[in-house]
Amino acid sequence: MAMSAVARDTVFALRRQIAKIEGTLPERLEVPAPSAPVDVARSDITAEITIVRRGLAVASPDAFLHTGIEHLDTALGGGLPKAALSEIHGLETRDAGAVAGFALSLASLILREKQGLPILWVGTAEIFREAGFPYASGLHALFGIEPEQLLFSEAPKLLDALWIAEEAARMTAFAAVMLEIRGSPRLLDLTATRRLHARAQNAGRPVLLLRQAGEAEPTAAPVRLIVSAASAASRETVAGPLAGSIGRPAFTVDIGKSRTALPGQFTLEWNPDEHAFEERRRGEERRPQEERATNPVAVVSASARGADPAPASGAVLAFPALGSPASGDQPSRQQRPAHRGPRRTG
Amino acid sequence: MISHRDSNAQRIAALDERAEALKLKRGMGIADARAMHPSIDVVEADAEADRRLLEGLADWCDRYTPLVAIDGEDGLFLDVTGCTHLFGGERAMQDEILTRFFQQGFDVRAGLASTPGAAWAAARFHGDRIVAGGEEEALLSPLPLSALRIAPETRISLESVGLRTAGAVMAAPRAPLARRFGATLLLRLDQALGRLDEAVSPRLPVAPLSVERHLAEPVVLTDDIERLVSRLAVALKSDLERRGEGARALALLLFRVDGAVSRIAVGTSRPLREPTLIRRLFHERLAALEQDIDAGFGFDLVRLSVLSVAAFDMLQGDLTGETDDDDADIALFADRIRARLGEAAVLKPVVVESHLPERAVAIVPFAEAPQRRMPPNRSGRSAPPMTIYPPERPVRLFRSPEPIEVPATEMPEGPPMNFRWRRALYRVARAEGPERIAAEWWRKLPGEEEAPTRDYYRIEDSEGRRYWLYRQGLYGASQTSPRWFMHGVFA
Repeated sequence: MAMSAVARDTVFALRRQIAKIEGTLPERLEVPAPSAPVDVARSDITAEITIVRRGLAVASPDAFLHTGIEHLDTALGGGLPKAALSEIHGLETRDAGAVAGFALSLASLILREKQGLPILWVGTAEIFREAGFPYASGLHALFGIEPEQLLFSEAPKLLDALWIAEEAARMTAFAAVMLEIRGSPRLLDLTATRRLHARAQNAGRPVLLLRQAGEAEPTAAPVRLIVSAASAASRETVAGPLAGSIGRPAFTVDIGKSRTALPGQFTLEWNPDEHAFEERRRGEERRPQEERATNPVAVVSASARGADPAPASGAVLAFPALGSPASGDQPSRQQRPAHRGPRRTG
Repeated sequence: MISHRDSNAQRIAALDERAEALKLKRGMGIADARAMHPSIDVVEADAEADRRLLEGLADWCDRYTPLVAIDGEDGLFLDVTGCTHLFGGERAMQDEILTRFFQQGFDVRAGLASTPGAAWAAARFHGDRIVAGGEEEALLSPLPLSALRIAPETRISLESVGLRTAGAVMAAPRAPLARRFGATLLLRLDQALGRLDEAVSPRLPVAPLSVERHLAEPVVLTDDIERLVSRLAVALKSDLERRGEGARALALLLFRVDGAVSRIAVGTSRPLREPTLIRRLFHERLAALEQDIDAGFGFDLVRLSVLSVAAFDMLQGDLTGETDDDDADIALFADRIRARLGEAAVLKPVVVESHLPERAVAIVPFAEAPQRRMPPNRSGRSAPPMTIYPPERPVRLFRSPEPIEVPATEMPEGPPMNFRWRRALYRVARAEGPERIAAEWWRKLPGEEEAPTRDYYRIEDSEGRRYWLYRQGLYGASQTSPRWFMHGVFA
């Protein structure tokens, strides 16, 4: 363990060197206070590196969807980018309910600003068969999305689903496009995600890529969240919590990739009445912070289909503010290396 | 030579010229024919294939007139009223049809007359003849009785009384004929002579509007076809504008040089007349069908038909010339998806008054769904406070409930302690319920067994996932123990 920790530090230092040479230092923000171990690990780092706040400083705060949870927003560098592709992963197909629920909560937040616009949910026939078809009554009760606002598209093949999503992503008539895919198909590679991301950026509309039972693969999406179900709190009554009851939906959200590269795990509760997230802060229900939180970067970058894809890999370093609509944050031609491509993985 | 089985003997159904030269005849037994000429080649008749061929020919004849009807096993009716001038007159048109068929290898006889009956007789008894209006009687008089399209029994009984030609029947007094041989005989006679109208019912509904282009040089490439579509659509637009209508269904007919006809149809969810949009719809459809359309040596006639129309609502654009109509965008998007992937590719949920979860939300194709109305505005008027909370419903529902194994429940009527679903074991941590949902008795058919009630439970497993299970039936209610199903997943 000690050996690997030393190796980790070395790799970390080397990566920082490379990033400095390339001029693509990622923005580092104040580390969220509650995650104490992270704080300790980072304090000496922050002392020596220059804090480069690119992207954020020029991007308007309007470009981000605020989840309403301050820590999550900070860790994501201001919130979920609105005009971008965002990946939401579920580790297993049986998590499909939680992943869909989290994505729909985000859609519900989006709909606050874009009232009346419809939401398109594209999926392959496979995922709708395996994980169930979206049920409009349930969506209305929980997320306030009217059945008239919902549009589903069931594609027989993944290629068709991607085509539909690409066509929809460039339209401004939808409030959001959700594309649901199962597994890690070869077709959904860096190019495919980059196409989706580019169209989402042009249209200024979010595209949520829901990947059930998928592995963390190279993606052009600036943000990847890993969602799993968290046990719900009891229902609140006037006389206190009702024992044995199942209350509001709860999710555990891991940040797999973000522009700030800050790690984090959050347990969020969705309030169906207010249509807002609430963070669950009680210690006993919070899952213990995992070991990787002390230093979020794997020693070796995860291979594309490796057996142990670490949720947070360090390639975020060379991926500066792609999601931000600002163009002024690109390094000058001398600074920009010709071969940034291979580093974009993550 | 083609044989068919008729009253328990193989007989000759059709034969070619060389067989005719051997003095073989239709209706002759195959055994006799073989005895005369052992080397003849006999093929079994295939009525199905004949029918398909005739339909293919009828499709091809669509190029001359939209009103094509199939007549019996070996005939086609073409109603060319108002079409002949497009082909240079009646004689030129008939010659062209005969030449084209001959080049395709068919031995065709054609007759053209002002009534279907006379044309039928002219085609079958003269071969290539055009009967001017009023000449029907002169045409029919010398012909045998079978020229009148009457049943063989009637013909035999007419012949038995000495009436052997159509002219003889015409000369005979009508009342005794009708009394003895039935009204059909006179009906056929009157129809042939034009005294009564006879309607030829076309195979395909006649399109309200179509535009077509005959090509001197056949086109093969999909791009060229698309370009033609947009040109035809431009021509169509002015017609649609004149009528104040838009197209709801369009069909593109591609007539291949060798006679095959491809029919490509697209539907639109709102009336359409813009040529660029029509072209985009056909672009998707052609892309989807790329494998299925065989251009062969090319298409020499391309026709764009409007199959159904609807009133077109004009929209006032703003001064920049853009109409900011999101619904139109979405309708077009849905049409393009449907054109490429089929009717069920874009779906819309419609809430139905029902308490059965699977019936409460109907998933219908986009085109059939009622038009979207704006969601009710909540800001102005606050909704009355809800006192009764609606029961919780899952975010995902399985299309068909999946059976799960439940080894034990704590109480006979209670939730399961653990269950096995898709070969994995789940331990139940918490459960809420039951919510009992009974079958809808008013939809039950009279003789049907009443469906058992379902008791739904919300379940949270040990890992925090929430499911919607139900038990079908009650313990002790019947001999078989009730079964458990997984019906949905909660967020």
